[in-house]
Amino acid sequence: MQSLSYSPLVERYFGHPMSVGPWPPDAGPTAVGDAGREDLGTRVRFELHSDGGVVTGARFQAFGCPHTIAAAAWLAEHLPGRTLESANSMPILELGRLLDVPTEKLGRLLVVEDALHAAIENAGLIRKTGPQLNAEQAQGT
Amino acid sequence: MTATCIYMDNAATTPVDPRVAAVMVECLTADGCFANPSSTGHAPGNAARARVEKARAQVAALIGTEPAAIVWTSGATESDNLAILGVARAQRERGRHLVTARTEHKAVLDPCKQLEKEGFEVTYLKPGADGIVQPDAVAAALRKDTLLVSLMQANNEIGVIQDVGAVGKICRDRGVLLHVDAAQSTGKVHIDVNEQCIDLMSLTAHKTYGPKGVGALYVRRHPRPLMQPLIFGGGQEWGLRSGTLPTHQIVGMGMAYEIAGREHASESARLSALRLRLWAGLKQLGDVELNGHPTQRVAGLLNVSFAGVEGESLLYALPQLAVSTGSACTSASHEASYVLRALGRSDQLAQSSLRFSLGRFSTESDVDYAIGAVTEAVRRLRRLAPASVPG
Repeated sequence: MQSLSYSPLVERYFGHPMSVGPWPPDAGPTAVGDAGREDLGTRVRFELHSDGGVVTGARFQAFGCPHTIAAAAWLAEHLPGRTLESANSMPILELGRLLDVPTEKLGRLLVVEDALHAAIENAGLIRKTGPQLNAEQAQGT
Repeated sequence: MTATCIYMDNAATTPVDPRVAAVMVECLTADGCFANPSSTGHAPGNAARARVEKARAQVAALIGTEPAAIVWTSGATESDNLAILGVARAQRERGRHLVTARTEHKAVLDPCKQLEKEGFEVTYLKPGADGIVQPDAVAAALRKDTLLVSLMQANNEIGVIQDVGAVGKICRDRGVLLHVDAAQSTGKVHIDVNEQCIDLMSLTAHKTYGPKGVGALYVRRHPRPLMQPLIFGGGQEWGLRSGTLPTHQIVGMGMAYEIAGREHASESARLSALRLRLWAGLKQLGDVELNGHPTQRVAGLLNVSFAGVEGESLLYALPQLAVSTGSACTSASHEASYVLRALGRSDQLAQSSLRFSLGRFSTESDVDYAIGAVTEAVRRLRRLAPASVPG
Protein backbone atom coordinates (compact mmCIF):
# COMPACT_ATOMS: atom_id res chain seq x y z
CA MET A 1 0.00 0.00 0.00
CA GLN A 2 1.46 3.30 -1.10
CA SER A 3 1.51 6.37 1.07
CA LEU A 4 -1.61 8.46 0.83
CA SER A 5 -0.45 12.04 0.68
CA TYR A 6 -2.58 14.84 -0.68
CA SER A 7 -2.30 18.61 -0.92
CA PRO A 8 -4.49 20.85 1.24
CA LEU A 9 -6.51 21.78 -1.87
CA VAL A 10 -7.24 18.13 -2.61
CA GLU A 11 -8.22 17.65 1.02
CA ARG A 12 -10.59 20.60 0.78
CA TYR A 13 -12.24 19.73 -2.51
CA PHE A 14 -12.44 16.00 -1.77
CA GLY A 15 -13.69 16.54 1.75
CA HIS A 16 -16.14 19.36 1.10
CA PRO A 17 -17.04 19.51 -2.58
CA MET A 18 -19.67 22.00 -3.65
CA SER A 19 -21.98 21.62 -6.63
CA VAL A 20 -22.35 17.85 -6.38
CA GLY A 21 -25.02 15.82 -8.14
CA PRO A 22 -27.31 16.37 -11.09
CA TRP A 23 -29.48 19.41 -11.61
CA PRO A 24 -33.13 18.84 -10.80
CA PRO A 25 -35.19 17.90 -13.88
CA ASP A 26 -37.02 21.25 -13.87
CA ALA A 27 -33.82 23.33 -13.61
CA GLY A 28 -33.83 24.28 -17.26
CA PRO A 29 -31.71 23.30 -20.27
CA THR A 30 -28.77 21.25 -19.09
CA ALA A 31 -25.67 20.35 -21.08
CA VAL A 32 -24.22 17.05 -20.00
CA GLY A 33 -20.73 15.68 -20.54
CA ASP A 34 -19.67 12.24 -19.41
CA ALA A 35 -16.31 10.48 -19.77
CA GLY A 36 -14.41 7.49 -18.42
CA ARG A 37 -15.43 4.09 -17.08
CA GLU A 38 -15.82 2.71 -13.59
CA ASP A 39 -13.97 -0.49 -14.48
CA LEU A 40 -10.97 1.62 -15.48
CA GLY A 41 -11.12 3.49 -12.20
CA THR A 42 -12.30 6.93 -13.32
CA ARG A 43 -15.61 8.33 -14.54
CA VAL A 44 -16.67 11.99 -14.47
CA ARG A 45 -19.87 13.78 -15.42
CA PHE A 46 -20.46 17.53 -15.69
CA GLU A 47 -23.82 19.26 -16.05
CA LEU A 48 -23.70 22.88 -17.22
CA HIS A 49 -26.20 25.71 -17.45
CA SER A 50 -25.34 28.60 -19.70
CA ASP A 51 -26.85 31.81 -20.93
CA GLY A 52 -25.61 33.82 -23.88
CA GLY A 53 -22.45 31.73 -24.11
CA VAL A 54 -21.57 32.17 -20.44
CA VAL A 55 -21.66 29.37 -17.88
CA THR A 56 -24.24 30.21 -15.23
CA GLY A 57 -24.07 27.00 -13.20
CA ALA A 58 -22.02 23.79 -13.06
CA ARG A 59 -22.46 20.57 -11.18
CA PHE A 60 -20.40 17.38 -11.21
CA GLN A 61 -20.37 13.74 -10.26
CA ALA A 62 -17.23 11.62 -10.08
CA PHE A 63 -16.12 8.07 -9.48
CA GLY A 64 -12.38 8.03 -8.97
CA CYS A 65 -9.42 8.75 -6.78
CA PRO A 66 -9.29 11.80 -4.48
CA HIS A 67 -7.37 13.80 -7.10
CA THR A 68 -10.05 13.13 -9.70
CA ILE A 69 -12.86 14.13 -7.36
CA ALA A 70 -11.01 17.24 -6.24
CA ALA A 71 -10.27 18.30 -9.83
CA ALA A 72 -13.89 17.90 -10.90
CA ALA A 73 -15.09 19.73 -7.79
CA TRP A 74 -12.63 22.59 -8.36
CA LEU A 75 -13.76 22.99 -11.96
CA ALA A 76 -17.45 22.91 -11.05
CA GLU A 77 -16.83 25.69 -8.54
CA HIS A 78 -14.77 27.84 -10.93
CA LEU A 79 -16.71 27.43 -14.20
CA PRO A 80 -19.64 29.80 -13.52
CA GLY A 81 -18.97 33.24 -14.99
CA ARG A 82 -16.65 31.97 -17.71
CA THR A 83 -17.56 31.99 -21.37
CA LEU A 84 -17.91 28.57 -22.95
CA GLU A 85 -14.85 29.32 -25.03
CA SER A 86 -12.81 30.22 -21.97
CA ALA A 87 -14.05 27.16 -20.09
CA ASN A 88 -13.08 24.97 -23.01
CA SER A 89 -9.51 26.19 -22.89
CA MET A 90 -8.94 25.83 -19.15
CA PRO A 91 -5.51 24.18 -18.88
CA ILE A 92 -6.09 20.89 -17.10
CA LEU A 93 -2.39 20.25 -16.51
CA GLU A 94 -2.12 23.56 -14.67
CA LEU A 95 -4.97 22.39 -12.48
CA GLY A 96 -2.94 19.22 -11.94
CA ARG A 97 -0.05 21.32 -10.68
CA LEU A 98 -2.34 23.41 -8.51
CA LEU A 99 -3.70 20.27 -6.86
CA ASP A 100 -0.24 18.67 -6.73
CA VAL A 101 -1.38 15.63 -8.69
CA PRO A 102 1.44 13.07 -9.07
CA THR A 103 2.77 12.71 -12.60
CA GLU A 104 1.66 9.09 -12.85
CA LYS A 105 -1.92 10.14 -12.17
CA LEU A 106 -2.14 13.04 -14.63
CA GLY A 107 -3.84 10.73 -17.13
CA ARG A 108 -6.85 10.61 -14.88
CA LEU A 109 -7.24 14.38 -15.22
CA LEU A 110 -7.66 13.88 -18.96
CA VAL A 111 -10.89 12.03 -18.17
CA VAL A 112 -12.01 15.10 -16.21
CA GLU A 113 -11.09 17.26 -19.19
CA ASP A 114 -12.94 14.98 -21.64
CA ALA A 115 -16.10 15.21 -19.55
CA LEU A 116 -15.82 18.99 -19.37
CA HIS A 117 -15.24 19.35 -23.11
CA ALA A 118 -18.22 17.10 -23.86
CA ALA A 119 -20.44 19.22 -21.63
CA ILE A 120 -19.21 22.45 -23.23
CA GLU A 121 -19.77 21.03 -26.71
CA ASN A 122 -23.34 20.16 -25.75
CA ALA A 123 -23.82 23.61 -24.26
CA GLY A 124 -22.74 25.09 -27.59
CA LEU A 125 -25.23 22.92 -29.43
CA ILE A 126 -27.98 23.98 -27.05
CA ARG A 127 -27.10 27.59 -27.66
CA LYS A 128 -27.38 27.10 -31.42
CA THR A 129 -30.42 24.86 -31.62
CA GLY A 130 -32.36 25.44 -28.43
CA PRO A 131 -33.31 23.36 -25.42
CA GLN A 132 -35.25 20.69 -27.34
CA LEU A 133 -31.99 19.24 -28.63
CA ASN A 134 -30.59 19.51 -25.15
CA ALA A 135 -33.11 17.03 -23.79
CA GLU A 136 -32.06 14.50 -26.40
CA GLN A 137 -28.40 15.17 -25.71
CA ALA A 138 -28.89 14.68 -22.01
CA GLN A 139 -30.67 11.37 -22.52
CA GLY A 140 -28.00 10.22 -24.90
CA THR A 141 -25.19 10.47 -22.39
CA MET B 1 -0.21 4.56 14.35
CA THR B 2 -1.69 7.27 16.48
CA ALA B 3 -3.92 6.95 19.48
CA THR B 4 -6.88 8.11 17.41
CA CYS B 5 -6.43 5.53 14.66
CA ILE B 6 -8.20 2.19 14.88
CA TYR B 7 -5.72 -0.42 13.65
CA MET B 8 -7.28 -3.13 11.49
CA ASP B 9 -4.30 -4.04 9.33
CA ASN B 10 -2.92 -6.96 11.33
CA ALA B 11 -2.44 -9.00 8.15
CA ALA B 12 0.18 -6.42 7.12
CA THR B 13 1.90 -6.52 10.48
CA THR B 14 1.07 -6.74 14.15
CA PRO B 15 2.35 -4.73 17.08
CA VAL B 16 4.84 -6.54 19.28
CA ASP B 17 3.10 -8.06 22.28
CA PRO B 18 4.44 -6.45 25.48
CA ARG B 19 5.30 -9.93 26.79
CA VAL B 20 7.46 -10.41 23.68
CA ALA B 21 9.09 -7.00 23.97
CA ALA B 22 10.02 -7.77 27.58
CA VAL B 23 12.10 -10.85 26.67
CA MET B 24 13.68 -9.09 23.69
CA VAL B 25 14.99 -6.32 25.90
CA GLU B 26 16.79 -8.93 27.98
CA CYS B 27 19.03 -9.69 25.00
CA LEU B 28 20.22 -6.23 24.02
CA THR B 29 22.39 -4.58 26.64
CA ALA B 30 25.60 -5.47 28.48
CA ASP B 31 23.71 -6.89 31.45
CA GLY B 32 21.74 -9.27 29.21
CA CYS B 33 22.24 -11.97 26.58
CA PHE B 34 23.83 -9.68 24.00
CA ALA B 35 26.72 -11.93 23.00
CA ASN B 36 27.08 -13.65 19.66
CA PRO B 37 25.31 -17.01 19.99
CA SER B 38 27.95 -18.56 17.74
CA SER B 39 30.68 -17.60 20.27
CA THR B 40 30.31 -20.76 22.29
CA GLY B 41 33.84 -20.52 23.68
CA HIS B 42 32.68 -18.31 26.55
CA ALA B 43 29.81 -18.03 28.98
CA PRO B 44 28.03 -15.00 27.50
CA GLY B 45 28.04 -16.66 24.07
CA ASN B 46 26.69 -19.86 25.55
CA ALA B 47 23.96 -17.94 27.38
CA ALA B 48 22.89 -16.32 24.11
CA ARG B 49 23.03 -19.69 22.37
CA ALA B 50 20.77 -21.15 25.06
CA ARG B 51 18.20 -18.41 24.44
CA VAL B 52 18.36 -19.01 20.69
CA GLU B 53 17.86 -22.75 21.13
CA LYS B 54 14.96 -22.22 23.52
CA ALA B 55 13.32 -20.01 20.89
CA ARG B 56 13.98 -22.64 18.23
CA ALA B 57 12.11 -25.16 20.37
CA GLN B 58 9.23 -22.72 20.90
CA VAL B 59 8.87 -22.16 17.16
CA ALA B 60 9.18 -25.87 16.41
CA ALA B 61 6.47 -26.68 18.95
CA LEU B 62 3.91 -24.46 17.24
CA ILE B 63 4.21 -26.38 13.97
CA GLY B 64 4.67 -29.84 15.45
CA THR B 65 8.29 -30.54 14.68
CA GLU B 66 11.72 -30.86 16.27
CA PRO B 67 13.95 -27.83 16.91
CA ALA B 68 16.67 -28.98 14.51
CA ALA B 69 14.23 -28.54 11.61
CA ILE B 70 14.07 -24.76 12.15
CA VAL B 71 16.43 -22.50 10.17
CA TRP B 72 16.45 -18.84 11.19
CA THR B 73 16.00 -16.26 8.42
CA SER B 74 15.13 -12.57 8.15
CA GLY B 75 11.44 -13.26 7.53
CA ALA B 76 8.95 -15.06 5.29
CA THR B 77 10.17 -13.42 2.08
CA GLU B 78 13.66 -14.79 2.59
CA SER B 79 12.24 -18.15 3.68
CA ASP B 80 10.10 -18.36 0.52
CA ASN B 81 13.10 -17.50 -1.64
CA LEU B 82 15.34 -19.98 0.16
CA ALA B 83 12.78 -22.76 -0.15
CA ILE B 84 11.89 -22.23 -3.81
CA LEU B 85 15.20 -21.13 -5.29
CA GLY B 86 17.19 -23.34 -2.91
CA VAL B 87 15.39 -26.56 -3.85
CA ALA B 88 15.03 -25.81 -7.56
CA ARG B 89 18.65 -24.84 -8.10
CA ALA B 90 19.99 -27.78 -6.10
CA GLN B 91 17.76 -30.33 -7.80
CA ARG B 92 17.62 -28.97 -11.36
CA GLU B 93 18.99 -32.22 -12.75
CA ARG B 94 16.03 -34.09 -11.23
CA GLY B 95 13.32 -31.85 -12.69
CA ARG B 96 12.50 -28.39 -13.99
CA HIS B 97 8.83 -27.97 -13.08
CA LEU B 98 7.09 -26.27 -10.15
CA VAL B 99 3.44 -25.76 -9.25
CA THR B 100 1.99 -22.81 -7.38
CA ALA B 101 -1.18 -20.68 -7.37
CA ARG B 102 -1.98 -17.31 -8.91
CA THR B 103 -3.06 -16.00 -5.53
CA GLU B 104 0.27 -16.58 -3.81
CA HIS B 105 2.25 -13.75 -2.22
CA LYS B 106 4.79 -11.99 -4.44
CA ALA B 107 7.50 -13.53 -2.25
CA VAL B 108 6.54 -16.84 -3.88
CA LEU B 109 5.53 -15.63 -7.33
CA ASP B 110 8.65 -13.58 -7.97
CA PRO B 111 11.13 -16.39 -7.18
CA CYS B 112 9.04 -18.59 -9.50
CA LYS B 113 9.35 -15.97 -12.22
CA GLN B 114 13.09 -15.86 -11.61
CA LEU B 115 13.25 -19.63 -12.05
CA GLU B 116 11.39 -19.34 -15.36
CA LYS B 117 14.25 -17.11 -16.52
CA GLU B 118 16.64 -19.86 -15.42
CA GLY B 119 14.93 -22.49 -17.59
CA PHE B 120 12.27 -23.87 -15.24
CA GLU B 121 8.57 -24.20 -16.01
CA VAL B 122 5.95 -23.10 -13.49
CA THR B 123 2.25 -23.97 -13.47
CA TYR B 124 0.17 -21.22 -11.85
CA LEU B 125 -3.12 -22.73 -10.66
CA LYS B 126 -6.28 -20.62 -10.79
CA PRO B 127 -8.34 -20.90 -7.61
CA GLY B 128 -12.13 -21.15 -7.59
CA ALA B 129 -14.27 -18.05 -7.13
CA ASP B 130 -14.02 -18.69 -3.39
CA GLY B 131 -10.22 -18.52 -3.48
CA ILE B 132 -9.73 -22.22 -2.76
CA VAL B 133 -7.24 -24.27 -4.78
CA GLN B 134 -8.68 -27.76 -4.98
CA PRO B 135 -6.20 -30.55 -4.12
CA ASP B 136 -7.37 -32.39 -7.26
CA ALA B 137 -6.21 -29.44 -9.33
CA VAL B 138 -2.77 -29.72 -7.75
CA ALA B 139 -2.70 -33.45 -8.46
CA ALA B 140 -3.64 -32.84 -12.08
CA ALA B 141 -0.83 -30.32 -12.49
CA LEU B 142 1.93 -32.64 -11.25
CA ARG B 143 4.32 -34.03 -13.86
CA LYS B 144 7.15 -36.53 -13.79
CA ASP B 145 9.61 -33.65 -13.63
CA THR B 146 7.78 -31.65 -10.91
CA LEU B 147 10.16 -30.78 -8.10
CA LEU B 148 8.09 -28.65 -5.81
CA VAL B 149 4.58 -27.41 -5.04
CA SER B 150 4.34 -24.08 -3.21
CA LEU B 151 1.00 -23.19 -1.67
CA MET B 152 0.20 -20.71 1.07
CA GLN B 153 -1.87 -21.95 3.99
CA ALA B 154 -3.83 -18.72 4.60
CA ASN B 155 -4.08 -16.04 1.96
CA ASN B 156 -2.84 -12.61 2.98
CA GLU B 157 -5.53 -10.64 1.11
CA ILE B 158 -8.69 -12.69 1.50
CA GLY B 159 -7.85 -14.98 4.41
CA VAL B 160 -9.00 -18.25 2.85
CA ILE B 161 -7.36 -21.41 4.17
CA GLN B 162 -6.05 -23.99 1.73
CA ASP B 163 -6.23 -27.67 2.58
CA VAL B 164 -2.45 -28.08 2.68
CA GLY B 165 -2.81 -31.44 4.40
CA ALA B 166 -4.65 -32.94 1.44
CA VAL B 167 -2.14 -31.39 -0.95
CA GLY B 168 0.69 -32.71 1.22
CA LYS B 169 -0.53 -36.29 0.98
CA ILE B 170 -0.81 -36.01 -2.81
CA CYS B 171 2.70 -34.60 -3.08
CA ARG B 172 4.19 -37.18 -0.71
CA ASP B 173 2.61 -40.02 -2.73
CA ARG B 174 4.06 -38.58 -5.94
CA GLY B 175 7.50 -37.84 -4.56
CA VAL B 176 7.11 -34.08 -4.92
CA LEU B 177 8.20 -31.63 -2.23
CA LEU B 178 5.58 -29.35 -0.66
CA HIS B 179 6.48 -25.84 0.49
CA VAL B 180 3.89 -23.91 2.50
CA ASP B 181 3.99 -20.17 3.17
CA ALA B 182 2.52 -19.95 6.66
CA ALA B 183 3.18 -16.24 7.25
CA GLN B 184 -0.53 -15.58 7.76
CA SER B 185 -1.49 -18.77 9.52
CA THR B 186 0.75 -19.23 12.56
CA GLY B 187 -1.31 -18.94 15.69
CA LYS B 188 -4.49 -18.83 13.62
CA VAL B 189 -4.70 -22.25 12.02
CA HIS B 190 -3.75 -25.76 13.16
CA ILE B 191 -0.31 -26.69 11.86
CA ASP B 192 1.39 -30.07 12.13
CA VAL B 193 4.02 -30.43 9.46
CA ASN B 194 4.33 -34.18 9.95
CA GLU B 195 0.62 -34.92 9.86
CA GLN B 196 0.19 -32.55 6.90
CA CYS B 197 3.18 -33.98 4.97
CA ILE B 198 4.87 -30.60 4.60
CA ASP B 199 8.54 -30.55 3.60
CA LEU B 200 9.26 -26.82 3.85
CA MET B 201 7.36 -24.06 5.66
CA SER B 202 8.00 -20.32 5.68
CA LEU B 203 7.44 -18.54 8.97
CA THR B 204 7.66 -14.96 10.15
CA ALA B 205 7.44 -13.28 13.53
CA HIS B 206 5.88 -9.92 12.79
CA LYS B 207 2.42 -11.17 11.83
CA THR B 208 2.16 -13.09 15.10
CA TYR B 209 2.93 -10.22 17.52
CA GLY B 210 6.67 -10.70 17.25
CA PRO B 211 9.32 -8.34 15.86
CA LYS B 212 9.94 -7.50 12.21
CA GLY B 213 13.14 -8.72 10.61
CA VAL B 214 13.13 -12.32 11.78
CA GLY B 215 11.58 -15.50 10.46
CA ALA B 216 12.36 -19.13 9.91
CA LEU B 217 12.21 -21.88 7.36
CA TYR B 218 11.10 -25.30 8.49
CA VAL B 219 13.10 -27.90 6.59
CA ARG B 220 12.04 -31.52 6.98
CA ARG B 221 14.85 -33.59 8.44
CA HIS B 222 14.08 -37.19 7.52
CA PRO B 223 14.90 -37.04 4.69
CA ARG B 224 16.23 -33.52 4.38
CA PRO B 225 15.58 -32.03 0.92
CA LEU B 226 18.67 -31.18 -1.06
CA MET B 227 18.95 -27.36 -1.06
CA GLN B 228 21.34 -24.59 -2.00
CA PRO B 229 21.79 -21.61 0.31
CA LEU B 230 21.16 -18.09 -0.94
CA ILE B 231 23.54 -16.42 1.50
CA PHE B 232 27.11 -17.54 2.07
CA GLY B 233 29.38 -16.57 4.93
CA GLY B 234 29.84 -18.00 8.40
CA GLY B 235 28.03 -21.25 7.73
CA GLN B 236 25.42 -20.73 10.45
CA GLU B 237 22.18 -22.69 10.42
CA TRP B 238 23.72 -25.88 9.01
CA GLY B 239 25.18 -23.87 6.14
CA LEU B 240 21.73 -22.96 4.84
CA ARG B 241 21.72 -19.38 6.09
CA SER B 242 24.91 -17.62 7.03
CA GLY B 243 24.91 -14.50 9.17
CA THR B 244 25.14 -13.61 12.86
CA LEU B 245 21.96 -14.66 14.61
CA PRO B 246 19.97 -11.71 16.02
CA THR B 247 19.36 -13.09 19.49
CA HIS B 248 16.83 -10.48 20.59
CA GLN B 249 14.68 -10.95 17.50
CA ILE B 250 14.88 -14.73 17.64
CA VAL B 251 13.96 -14.73 21.33
CA GLY B 252 11.05 -12.44 20.48
CA MET B 253 9.83 -14.80 17.76
CA GLY B 254 10.07 -17.74 20.12
CA MET B 255 7.99 -16.03 22.79
CA ALA B 256 5.49 -14.77 20.19
CA TYR B 257 4.98 -18.31 18.90
CA GLU B 258 4.65 -19.75 22.40
CA ILE B 259 1.92 -17.22 23.23
CA ALA B 260 0.23 -17.85 19.88
CA GLY B 261 0.09 -21.57 20.54
CA ARG B 262 -1.25 -21.11 24.06
CA GLU B 263 -3.95 -18.60 23.11
CA HIS B 264 -4.92 -19.93 19.69
CA ALA B 265 -8.27 -21.49 20.63
CA SER B 266 -9.66 -18.62 22.71
CA GLU B 267 -8.35 -15.96 20.36
CA SER B 268 -9.81 -17.63 17.28
CA ALA B 269 -13.25 -17.79 18.85
CA ARG B 270 -13.08 -14.13 19.89
CA LEU B 271 -11.86 -12.93 16.50
CA SER B 272 -14.46 -15.00 14.63
CA ALA B 273 -17.20 -13.30 16.63
CA LEU B 274 -15.73 -9.86 15.89
CA ARG B 275 -15.38 -10.62 12.18
CA LEU B 276 -18.99 -11.82 11.94
CA ARG B 277 -20.14 -8.68 13.75
CA LEU B 278 -18.20 -6.54 11.27
CA TRP B 279 -19.59 -8.37 8.26
CA ALA B 280 -23.15 -8.19 9.58
CA GLY B 281 -22.79 -4.44 9.98
CA LEU B 282 -21.21 -3.80 6.59
CA LYS B 283 -23.76 -5.97 4.79
CA GLN B 284 -26.44 -3.49 5.77
CA LEU B 285 -24.98 -1.06 3.22
CA GLY B 286 -26.15 -3.20 0.29
CA ASP B 287 -24.17 -3.87 -2.89
CA VAL B 288 -21.26 -5.31 -0.92
CA GLU B 289 -19.54 -8.62 -1.63
CA LEU B 290 -17.49 -10.86 0.62
CA ASN B 291 -14.26 -11.92 -1.06
CA GLY B 292 -13.17 -15.47 -0.40
CA HIS B 293 -14.75 -18.58 1.05
CA PRO B 294 -17.34 -17.68 3.73
CA THR B 295 -16.18 -20.23 6.31
CA GLN B 296 -12.85 -21.75 5.23
CA ARG B 297 -10.91 -18.70 6.41
CA VAL B 298 -8.83 -17.32 9.24
CA ALA B 299 -10.81 -15.89 12.10
CA GLY B 300 -9.88 -12.23 11.93
CA LEU B 301 -9.68 -11.36 8.24
CA LEU B 302 -12.55 -9.92 6.22
CA ASN B 303 -12.20 -8.67 2.64
CA VAL B 304 -15.18 -6.80 1.22
CA SER B 305 -15.86 -5.14 -2.13
CA PHE B 306 -18.11 -2.09 -2.18
CA ALA B 307 -19.86 -1.52 -5.51
CA GLY B 308 -19.96 2.08 -6.70
CA VAL B 309 -16.95 3.43 -4.84
CA GLU B 310 -13.29 3.67 -5.74
CA GLY B 311 -10.77 2.08 -3.40
CA GLU B 312 -8.29 4.89 -2.92
CA SER B 313 -11.02 7.43 -2.23
CA LEU B 314 -12.64 5.03 0.20
CA LEU B 315 -9.37 4.60 2.03
CA TYR B 316 -8.77 8.35 2.06
CA ALA B 317 -12.26 8.94 3.43
CA LEU B 318 -11.39 6.74 6.42
CA PRO B 319 -8.48 8.60 8.04
CA GLN B 320 -9.10 7.10 11.46
CA LEU B 321 -9.20 3.52 10.25
CA ALA B 322 -6.00 1.67 9.32
CA VAL B 323 -7.08 -0.87 6.70
CA SER B 324 -5.79 -1.96 3.28
CA THR B 325 -7.35 -1.63 -0.15
CA GLY B 326 -7.23 -3.85 -3.21
CA SER B 327 -6.46 -0.84 -5.35
CA ALA B 328 -2.93 0.08 -6.35
CA CYS B 329 -3.47 3.68 -5.39
CA THR B 330 -0.83 5.69 -7.13
CA SER B 331 -0.21 3.53 -10.14
CA ALA B 332 -0.80 4.94 -13.58
CA SER B 333 -2.68 1.85 -14.67
CA HIS B 334 -4.93 1.73 -11.62
CA GLU B 335 -4.18 -1.99 -11.48
CA ALA B 336 -6.53 -3.95 -9.28
CA SER B 337 -5.48 -6.63 -6.80
CA TYR B 338 -4.22 -9.65 -8.72
CA VAL B 339 -5.60 -11.91 -6.00
CA LEU B 340 -9.14 -10.59 -6.39
CA ARG B 341 -8.82 -10.65 -10.18
CA ALA B 342 -7.78 -14.32 -9.96
CA LEU B 343 -11.05 -14.98 -8.13
CA GLY B 344 -12.91 -13.52 -11.10
CA ARG B 345 -13.85 -10.21 -9.50
CA SER B 346 -14.37 -7.32 -11.94
CA ASP B 347 -11.77 -4.57 -11.99
CA GLN B 348 -14.22 -2.20 -10.35
CA LEU B 349 -15.04 -4.55 -7.48
CA ALA B 350 -11.39 -5.52 -7.07
CA GLN B 351 -10.42 -1.85 -6.85
CA SER B 352 -13.15 -1.04 -4.36
CA SER B 353 -12.21 -3.67 -1.82
CA LEU B 354 -11.10 -3.17 1.74
CA ARG B 355 -9.24 -5.71 3.84
CA PHE B 356 -10.06 -5.58 7.54
CA SER B 357 -7.66 -7.72 9.55
CA LEU B 358 -8.54 -7.86 13.21
CA GLY B 359 -6.04 -8.87 15.83
CA ARG B 360 -5.23 -9.53 19.45
CA PHE B 361 -5.87 -5.94 20.45
CA SER B 362 -9.06 -5.38 18.42
CA THR B 363 -12.23 -4.78 20.42
CA GLU B 364 -15.96 -4.79 19.86
CA SER B 365 -16.02 -1.00 20.02
CA ASP B 366 -13.32 -0.87 17.30
CA VAL B 367 -15.57 -2.98 15.09
CA ASP B 368 -18.60 -0.80 15.77
CA TYR B 369 -16.57 2.30 14.98
CA ALA B 370 -15.41 0.73 11.69
CA ILE B 371 -18.96 -0.16 10.69
CA GLY B 372 -20.10 3.42 11.29
CA ALA B 373 -17.15 5.06 9.55
CA VAL B 374 -17.24 2.80 6.49
CA THR B 375 -21.01 3.14 6.16
CA GLU B 376 -20.77 6.93 6.17
CA ALA B 377 -17.84 7.00 3.73
CA VAL B 378 -19.39 4.56 1.25
CA ARG B 379 -22.71 6.40 1.26
CA ARG B 380 -20.98 9.73 0.66
CA LEU B 381 -18.86 8.42 -2.21
CA ARG B 382 -21.84 6.69 -3.79
CA ARG B 383 -23.70 10.01 -3.71
CA LEU B 384 -20.72 11.64 -5.45
CA ALA B 385 -20.57 9.05 -8.24
CA PRO B 386 -22.52 9.20 -11.51
CA ALA B 387 -25.57 6.99 -11.44
CA SER B 388 -24.91 4.55 -14.23
CA VAL B 389 -22.29 3.39 -16.66
CA PRO B 390 -22.63 5.18 -20.00
CA GLY B 391 -23.16 3.37 -23.26
